[in-house]
Amino acid sequence: MSKIPLQTKQEQALLSVRGLKMHFPVKEGVFMRTGKFNKAVDGVSFDIAPGETLGLVGESGCGKSTLGRCIARLYQPTAGYISFEGTDIARLGRKDMMPFRRDIQMIFQDPMESLNSRHTVGQILEEPFQVHSIGNKEFRNKRVKELLDLVGLPARSVTRYPFEFSGGQRQRIGIARSIALNPKLIICDEPVSALDVSIQSQILNLLIDLQKEFNLSYLFIAHDLAVVKHISDRIAIMYLGKIVESGEGESIYRTARHPYTQSLISAIPVPDPHHVANRQILVGDVPSPINPPSGCNFHTRCPQAMEICKSVVPTLSDEAQPVSCLLYEPSKT
Amino acid sequence: MSDVILSVKNLVTEFATDEGRVRAVDDVSFDIKAGETLGIVGESGCGKSVTALSIMRLLPQPIGQIMGGEIRLQGENLVNISIAQMQKIRGARIGMVFQEPMTALNPVHTIGRQLTEVILLHKKISKEKALKEGIAMLDKVGIPAPDIRMTEYPHQLSGGMRQRVVIAMALACQPSLLIADEPTTALDVTIQAQILELIKELQNEMGMSVLLITHDLGVIAETSASVVVMYAGKVAERGNVYEIFDSPRHPYTRGLLESIPRLDTEPKSKLPIIPGMVPGLLDMPKGCRFENRCRYRKDGCLVAPPEAEMITEGHEVACYEWRELKANVGGGGDSADFKLSADL
Repeated sequence: MSKIPLQTKQEQALLSVRGLKMHFPVKEGVFMRTGKFNKAVDGVSFDIAPGETLGLVGESGCGKSTLGRCIARLYQPTAGYISFEGTDIARLGRKDMMPFRRDIQMIFQDPMESLNSRHTVGQILEEPFQVHSIGNKEFRNKRVKELLDLVGLPARSVTRYPFEFSGGQRQRIGIARSIALNPKLIICDEPVSALDVSIQSQILNLLIDLQKEFNLSYLFIAHDLAVVKHISDRIAIMYLGKIVESGEGESIYRTARHPYTQSLISAIPVPDPHHVANRQILVGDVPSPINPPSGCNFHTRCPQAMEICKSVVPTLSDEAQPVSCLLYEPSKT
Repeated sequence: MSDVILSVKNLVTEFATDEGRVRAVDDVSFDIKAGETLGIVGESGCGKSVTALSIMRLLPQPIGQIMGGEIRLQGENLVNISIAQMQKIRGARIGMVFQEPMTALNPVHTIGRQLTEVILLHKKISKEKALKEGIAMLDKVGIPAPDIRMTEYPHQLSGGMRQRVVIAMALACQPSLLIADEPTTALDVTIQAQILELIKELQNEMGMSVLLITHDLGVIAETSASVVVMYAGKVAERGNVYEIFDSPRHPYTRGLLESIPRLDTEPKSKLPIIPGMVPGLLDMPKGCRFENRCRYRKDGCLVAPPEAEMITEGHEVACYEWRELKANVGGGGDSADFKLSADL
């Protein structure tokens, strides 16, 4: 797996995303006319191979969650292709999408909000089977017990309600639900961000175990680069709706090329008092995706910005560690 | 001991709940020296925020109460003073920054009004002068165009800018102590780096002490000179930052340090974990509170809670088995196949 570039061969990819855009209309004025668009995801392409984890890192508002939701088809993307095992699911209708929903599942950040508080754990875990009309009552009960065992919860949890569990245990329930139908791809949207440090490692270990056991692919979305690097084979860094750099976790960390990636890595506090931070502090805030800066949209905060960055849009290069920055595109400058 | 700004001794804070009295902070002691940053680290429910609220005397009333101990600010015991006296101290001698800047700011008042309110409350100066001081303070915390910002409302600012405003308010009267409770938790890493740097700069410039409360060991390592590790309402271990990170002697401290994924750990390797979870405050074990998750547990740990023991000058640990941990330095964590026994 040493040299899989961002664009793996289409035939070996489980998921291929090309030019994906999700523009939300912004309603303005008394007549709620659509004047502008919030370009949450603005032309994103990547692949995920079977059994692989792609980590997606970025700050709030960079579009990483929107991207995840587009792939799970909770949103209808504005443009682009989402090829899942060769079928473009970007524009499938509700009925046609049904079989793919079994294969693509999601884990959310806050398990308290994503689990129905009026249902017992047994009901929550049985629901996927009901929705897809799989098995009889006996089979489902057996499966629910298996699922609980897989995520390390006792069988007696079946009759309990989500509020009786701690945050970490609730996240285990969410994970059990997501693997119920033997999916191929799980979109994990900040699955450990709300958890305490000692619980976080338990959940990360569980996700790694399940991946090995069932050859799952993950799209792992998080803002914590250390967590993402730990669980991912490859990492993509997002800024204002675009991927600015991607590559293997280790090489992103050791030889980050994009100035944003470099700043992001240097901004992470290292839990070692001997570590001397060689920090590039970015000035200002992330600009609004409704009105993104011209040219390279990072130029307003970039420590290495050139005059040309204000007008010319960089493209993601086609290399082992693709980067979207004019510093690496001498032909345009 | 004249250079100790804040001295907390045997602090006990309880809450009256429907199910009975809950001891959220139990026998907590630490000192903060002038100009020093002390970090309190621990997970949710460990009592770190309640400790801060006790110091500020801002416990939810009437259910929260300080039941014992002393909180001495420059020698003066804050536990027994009147509300009026405490109000003179808050904002003037102790500044506070909370996690969520939007809830710390009043949404219907301008930044200027809120900022000058603090100044006018504690200083006998004119409104114009307070306005000038406010603008200077906003400038100091790195807010561009401070005179325009003074007329704006909190919702017009970004999260990072709001936290800067809160810091400006906390420091407007040059307090000798700043209490920062998870000041960067709600912010993105690049903004977190800005805010931590800002606090450090202002601390150097104004010479205040900082009590930093966080769950992030990275933030602690970077900012704090001394560290207090709290678990289930008690101090598990305290010492200077090098002692805590280089030779942790409490199994909980060690477990925490081992379980965080770092940028240089092997990808997809098994992280050592602390099994189980924190016991509820209503059914704390009789002995050591970490006993049910501890891999060094002996029978004695179940009988009575361990007292804090001094290992070296300033390095204290509340564990019977701390000597065992020395032999184990660099020995890694739990075996990879540790099966989690989920307690329900």
